[in-house]
This record gives sequence, structure tokens and C-alpha cells, in this order.
Amino acid sequence: MTNQFSPDHVEMVHEFAQEIRDLLDELEPVIIAMGECCGTEGKLEDISDDINSIFRLFHSIKGAAGFLNFTHVAATSHSAENLLDLIRTGGMSLQPDHIDLLCQGCDFIREAIDHVCQHYEDGGLSEQSRRLRDRFLAAIKPDLQAAEQGAPLIDLDGDLGSQVSPEMTVNFVSESQEILQAMESGLLNWLNDQENQELLGDIFRHVHSFKGNCGFLGFADLESLSHHLETAIDLARSGTKVDNGKIAELALKLVDVYRESLADIEGGGPGKIDGLTIYLDMINDLLPSADRVSSETVKEESDRLGDILVELGAASRAAVDISLAQQNRQLGAILVESGAVSHDAIDKALQIQAERKKKKIGPTKAKVTSRQDIRVDLGKLDQLIDLIGELVIAENMVVHSPDLVDMELDSFQKSSQHLSKIVRDLQEMAMTLRMVPVSGLFRRMIRLVHDLSRKSGKKVDFILRGEDTEVDKTVIETITDPLVHLLRNSMDHGIESSEVRLKAGKNSTGRIKLSATHEEGCVKITIDDDGGGLDRGKILAKAREKGLIHDDGSSMRDREVFQLIFAPGFSTAAEITDVSGRGVGMDVVRQNINKVNGTIDIQSKAGQGTTVQLSISLTMAIIEGMMVRCGQSRYIIPIINIIESFQCKPGMITLAPDGQEIVKVRDNLLSVVRLHELHKIVPDNYELEKGILIVLEARRHNFCLFVDELLGQQQTVIKGLSDYVTSFGNVGGVSGCTIMGNGEVCLILDVQSVLDRLNTGEADESAYRGR
Amino acid sequence: MAEMRRDIDFDDDLYDDEDTQKDKYLTFFMAGEDYGIDIAYVTEIIGIQKITEVPDMPVFIKGVINLRGKVIPIMDVRLRFNMKERAYDERTCIIVVDINGTAVGLVVDEVREVADIPEAQVEPPPQTGKGRSSRYLKGMGKVDDEVKILLNAENLLYDEELEKLETIGEG
Repeated sequence: MTNQFSPDHVEMVHEFAQEIRDLLDELEPVIIAMGECCGTEGKLEDISDDINSIFRLFHSIKGAAGFLNFTHVAATSHSAENLLDLIRTGGMSLQPDHIDLLCQGCDFIREAIDHVCQHYEDGGLSEQSRRLRDRFLAAIKPDLQAAEQGAPLIDLDGDLGSQVSPEMTVNFVSESQEILQAMESGLLNWLNDQENQELLGDIFRHVHSFKGNCGFLGFADLESLSHHLETAIDLARSGTKVDNGKIAELALKLVDVYRESLADIEGGGPGKIDGLTIYLDMINDLLPSADRVSSETVKEESDRLGDILVELGAASRAAVDISLAQQNRQLGAILVESGAVSHDAIDKALQIQAERKKKKIGPTKAKVTSRQDIRVDLGKLDQLIDLIGELVIAENMVVHSPDLVDMELDSFQKSSQHLSKIVRDLQEMAMTLRMVPVSGLFRRMIRLVHDLSRKSGKKVDFILRGEDTEVDKTVIETITDPLVHLLRNSMDHGIESSEVRLKAGKNSTGRIKLSATHEEGCVKITIDDDGGGLDRGKILAKAREKGLIHDDGSSMRDREVFQLIFAPGFSTAAEITDVSGRGVGMDVVRQNINKVNGTIDIQSKAGQGTTVQLSISLTMAIIEGMMVRCGQSRYIIPIINIIESFQCKPGMITLAPDGQEIVKVRDNLLSVVRLHELHKIVPDNYELEKGILIVLEARRHNFCLFVDELLGQQQTVIKGLSDYVTSFGNVGGVSGCTIMGNGEVCLILDVQSVLDRLNTGEADESAYRGR
Repeated sequence: MAEMRRDIDFDDDLYDDEDTQKDKYLTFFMAGEDYGIDIAYVTEIIGIQKITEVPDMPVFIKGVINLRGKVIPIMDVRLRFNMKERAYDERTCIIVVDINGTAVGLVVDEVREVADIPEAQVEPPPQTGKGRSSRYLKGMGKVDDEVKILLNAENLLYDEELEKLETIGEG
């Protein structure tokens, strides 16, 4: 394709495209602004400058397009130019329709530019161009306009749908998901506070913008369903006698339906909704008969008083029409006088009118203050972070280059310090890029608790705190499942039914609090309920049954007892409900939290409630680590696992009969793991007294690790070992690796799995040691 | 990818598109024989550098290295074929290959050249005496009167038969 065109031509096309894009970016807002003063007579002077510049835009597009042989683009610009010329010379006043038309003209030209940048000709655009030209023509000849308006409009919509680019769909889906989430949380809040008009207004706006998006992209099913929902919510908002609760429940259900449809669209489907008519009927059933929406018509919301009155059912359409016909006074007064409506109804309608007018202005104002986001591919972001990580290493290598040792380099030192500072700042910035607030995740939980509460008939207040706490995106992904399970547990096993609660002297409504805070480089997620608490006796009995413990457990601390519930298949529930009871949930929680090096802490008092706290390091990409040396090898140990380190003295060590060395630290007896034996390295020292012992903790068990030397604490960028390496099975005692300042790779110890080895492989170890 | 390939100091035109890479093999020397690997898999060749050992790996995985911020595993091809280990010297090279997105470094004694071996010159791998077809071999390439052993890169990485082969060989 490209071969037919000379490089000069290609270059020219791209230059043309860039220029026109810039012009469009500049002038589109002007066109929109112009729309605000259209329809008013005698203001032509104010906007004549604007019109002139837009005229020039289309003129130069026409010229350039003609030169490059893009006949359709040129012709379209020509007709836009004609219209503008007529307005400019005063042959016609500017109408809102014209603004729409000009905007569509701009859209067309943008598309055309994209098209020609790929194909270097505009043959494929003839159909669109013709249609748009017809409309411009129609606008110039108003008498024609009336006749033709209907048909081309619908045509154009259809056309738009077919031209939706995959990119637009992706954006639509992600945007819609956000809207749906906001809608959902709004609905849940509203359910609890049905008098709150502000909330309802929010919900209405969400539904409305969702409908708009769907309509724009031509997803008819979604649009019509949203339109019905919009009508229903509007009625609720305007205070008509409808069952608010039912509407909200239905709306929540519909949110799920929308999600399904969106998923279909995301997968390239047409977004058809199965059983659309059933849902539509369900909405209609909730509405008073006069307000039912027929499936065909899409009724524009009106802010005219007469329409509102009809909508409210306060006056008949006929009465309003009669009054309108003789209207030279205020409509309200006429209606009251003629006895068609009561005073109260008019007052109410007037109030609604004011609100609606306000609302129409509202959204545009909100747009100005909204913060600016751009969506970035996560892969690109990771690449950037990787690159910055490499920059840090490269900077280290330059600054500490062995070539520079023993040289007097004053100005080099100065500049290198400057460089170091910038690099650190950059690294910090990069880390915050992946951070997202937990609010999205938390809001999803509102829905969960709501559903569970309905299912079980238990009433709960669900309180969220610290929603704006930011954590790494991967952390969010990892804790979603655990949160679901923990909340289910709280709802199903924790919170008691109202009767039980009242008997126990508690408020009949339960309380679950979900909060997030930052603490010492960790994020702590706490789920706190005021339910029945964990039953120590029951847990111990079950643990004995399962063979997890062998004595009566009376010597165990509460904490240790509660950790038992994380065992796979552990459940004290008498029967399995569809919510929980199989004993899978807590195991999932533990697995997921372990994956991100987090810890789980449970506190519970029988009869008073349970608190589960998850601590997870802020980001999974960086950990605070201690570098240790053993022989020639260096390792990083996560600081989170280190309790203390010390040099042992003779007499602290006891050798058990099985060969296990045990060291006495204050009152605790700890097993010693020799890193050099674990990884078969030749160490500097074999005598425990000559090296360093580090007390490590994993899952609340402590043990000592023997290494040669501590090298210091440092921020460690975690890199995964290659997939190829992990395909050979678990890499013993290693969770990943990092790159050191000198460019070498250094392994990160996985304290948890070292501990597991200690527990399972004691016999082998001692045999291996051969003492 | 494209610029990584340029790291190899050969004629740039070779790497313009898939077609020009056809029938081209990077040949290397190991224990008295010449081997070849499909050039399409090769991303670059680097000198030997310090390898960080990883515990619990098969013997032929020597460990991992840092390749411009990426951690890649290193396989000693000699050990993969159960040959005698040999101390690394200044001629020892790591051929970095990318096989379906997995980057692995292959340690070989010495890198030779890029050879053009048309399909007609490639014989299927010979059946070994014990009746096992050697799946890690792609074929035997004839260049003039020399024979180059052409490796099947994917099976070199993942073929479990190789491990069996070793153990049987040992027994």
C-alpha cells in the first residue's frame, strides 16, 4: 500500500495531520463555548472572531486536503465552510444544531486524519463524508432540514456504532466499571438513608452517564435498560410514591447484569443482555402505571414545569396543554386557578424544577475541578520501574567505580552526589506510581456485606475507615480474596442473630469495621466485629479431632489456638452453608497473605468479638532487607522476619541427641539452622561462636540462622527468579533475588520455607550432618 | 528485541525479518564437536561472568546472572548433555536465547560463526542404538565436509527425556 506513495508525500501527510490535530485541539473548545451564546440575537459581534477562526480552520483543511487529493475531506470541509460563511455574513443566526454539526465535522476530520495517516488516501470515508455533507446542506437550507432531519440522524448513530474502535471499547468498559462501582456504593448508602436526596442525585447521575456512554457506543440493550432504571430512580428522586427499597434492590441486581454485559463487551461480544424484557418489566412493575416507559421511546428528561406536573401525576396532560395554550402568565398560577392541581403539588413541582435546572449546570462545573488522569498500560509502568531500578544500579557502579579510587575528584564528587539525589527521588516517585487507594476494594466489600446481611437476615452496620490508604496494586489483588473470606466469616460465624444479640445485652444491629492504616512501612488491614468471638474450647476440640494437637491444649496461648483455624479443612461450623463451613476460607487467607510476606494476627474475646489484622508490606516490589554473608555468597533476609542478632558464647549451645543444635536466648530455646549447610556453601567458620546468629520469626515460630557476617540494612528491589528456574520445583529457602550495587545477583531468603524445612527435614538434616 | 539482536556483531541485514534468518545457525564448539542453534532464538552473546548459585537446582543449572536488570538462569550445556565439566576460560561464552519468552543463557566452550545450512543439507537426527530418537537434536547439518549437530532449542530447555537419558547412561 505504502509503496504507491513517495516518501515526500507520506511526510507531507503526517505534517498535515499533525497541524490539523493541533488546530482542532485549539478550536474545538471554542466551538463548544460558542454554543453557549448561540440562539441569542445581536451577539454576533462577540463571537465573530471565533467564527472567523473556525472558518479559517475549515478553510485551511479544505486547502491542504485538496492539495493532497483527499477529496472527501476537502468536500466536507467545504460544506462546513459554507455554513460558517453564511453565519459570518449574517445570512443566518447560529443555532445549537449548528454547534452539534460543527463538532461532528471536527470528529469526522479527526477520524479522517487517523485514516489517511494509515492509508494515505480517503476513499474509505466517502459514505460518512456524504452523510455529513447532506446535513450541512440541510442546515443551510432550513426548509430542507425539517424534512430530512429524522432519517440521517438515526443513520449516523448506526454508523457511529460500527466505527467504534477497540480502544474506545476498552476505555468504555473500564470507565463503566468505575461508574458501576460508584453507583453500587451509592445505592447501598441510599438503602440505609432513603431520605438522602443528594445520594439519590449522585446515583441518578451515574446511571445517566452510564446510559450516555452506552448509547454513544451503540450498545442498545444496555442503553435501554439504563434508561428504564434512570426513569425509576428519577421517580424515586422526585418523591413519587414508589418503593425506594425495591428500586434500590433491583438497581443493585441490574448493576450485576450490567457487569455481565460489560464482560461480554470486553471479550468482544455485542453486550446483549439475556432476558432484557424481563428486567424491563421488573422495572415497570415498580412504577406507577402513568410513568411506565415503553421500550421504544427514549424520553428526554424535561425541566419544564408542565411536564413535571404530568410526570408527578399531579395534573393531566390535557389540563397542562389547555393552560399552556392560554399562557401569558405563570403556568403554575393558571393551573391552580383552574383547579387542576393543588397548591402543594405546584410548590413541589417548582422545587423539583429548580433542582433539575441546577443539576443541568452541575456536571459541567464538576468537570473543571476533577483531577487529571491518564490511563497507562501497567506493563509500561513496570518497564519504567525496572529501568529506574537499573539506573540506580548503574549510578552506583559509576560513582563507586574502582577506576576512581584514590583520585582527587572534588567536582566529580559534587556532581555525583547531585546525581544520586535525583536518582533516589526518581526511585521514590516510581514506587508511588503503582500505589492505588484501597477505597475501590473496600467499596466492593460494602456490596458483599449487604448481600450477606440480606441472605442471613442479620443486621449489621458496616463501617469503613482509612479508605484513602494507598497500597501497591498487586497487594490489592492479593488481599481481595482474603477479605471476602474474612468478612464472610464475620458475618456467618461472628455476628449473631438479633435475638441472640439482644439476649446477650448487645445492640440488635451488629457492627463490622474494616479499616486500613499505614504503620512502619506496612499496611494494616483490620476487620473488627462485635460478634460472638472465637470459641477456644470448640477450636481445641476440633483440632484434637483433626490430630493437629495431641494434648488438651490448656498450655497454649490464645494466639496459638486461634492460629489453628488456618489449617486446611478446619471448620467448627456444625453444618455447611452456601456461604461458609467447608474450612477452605481461612486456608485461602493464609496462603494469599503468605504469598506477599504478610502476617495475620487474630484477637478474640468470647462474647465480645473478633479482630483480625493483616499486615502486609506496602509494596511487593521493594522490601527492607538485611544483607548477610556466608562464605562467598551474599543473601538478603527481609527485616520483617528478623528479631535480633547476636554472637553466641560457649555454653549457650546444647546439642540434642538427634544432632540438632539448640541455643538458649534468654528464656527461649531456639533451633539453629546453618545457612552453609542449607545451601551447601563453604563458610568462613564452622564454629557457632565465630559467626553471627540471627533470630528469625516466621508464623510466630522463632529459630536461629547461622551466618558469617552481617553486612547491613538496605532497600531491596525484589526480582523474581526466572520462570525457567522455578519450573524445576520450589527453590529451597529462596523467595526471589535482587541485583546488588556491583551488578551481581543476590538471593533473598524465604524465612518461612527455611522454617518448614527445619520442621519436616530434621531427621535428614542430622543424618547429613553426620555427627 | 530488534536492538538486542544487534548486540551480536554480525551483519545487520541478516536480522531484518524472519525470512533472512531462515536456515541460519549460530555455531559453537564444545568438547571436540561443532553444534548449531537456530539463529532466531539467539538474542545475544556475552562473556562469562560471575554466576550466583541457586540451591536445589539440577546440576546443569549453574545459577542466575544479571543481564541489564533482568535475572536470567544459566545452563551449562556440557552438563546438560552429561559431559565432563570443564573450567571456564576467556573463550567460554554465554549464548543468550529467548525461547517462547523465556530467556536462558547457555554456557558453551567457544562461539564459532553464523553458518548458512539450507534444509537440503540437514539430515534427520540418527536413531541411537537403543532405539530412542534424540528429541533434543534437530538434525545433522552438513557444511562442506564437516558435520554440525543442530540442536532443538525448546527441547534443550524442557525435554525430560534428557534427564532419563542421563540416568540410564549412568546405570
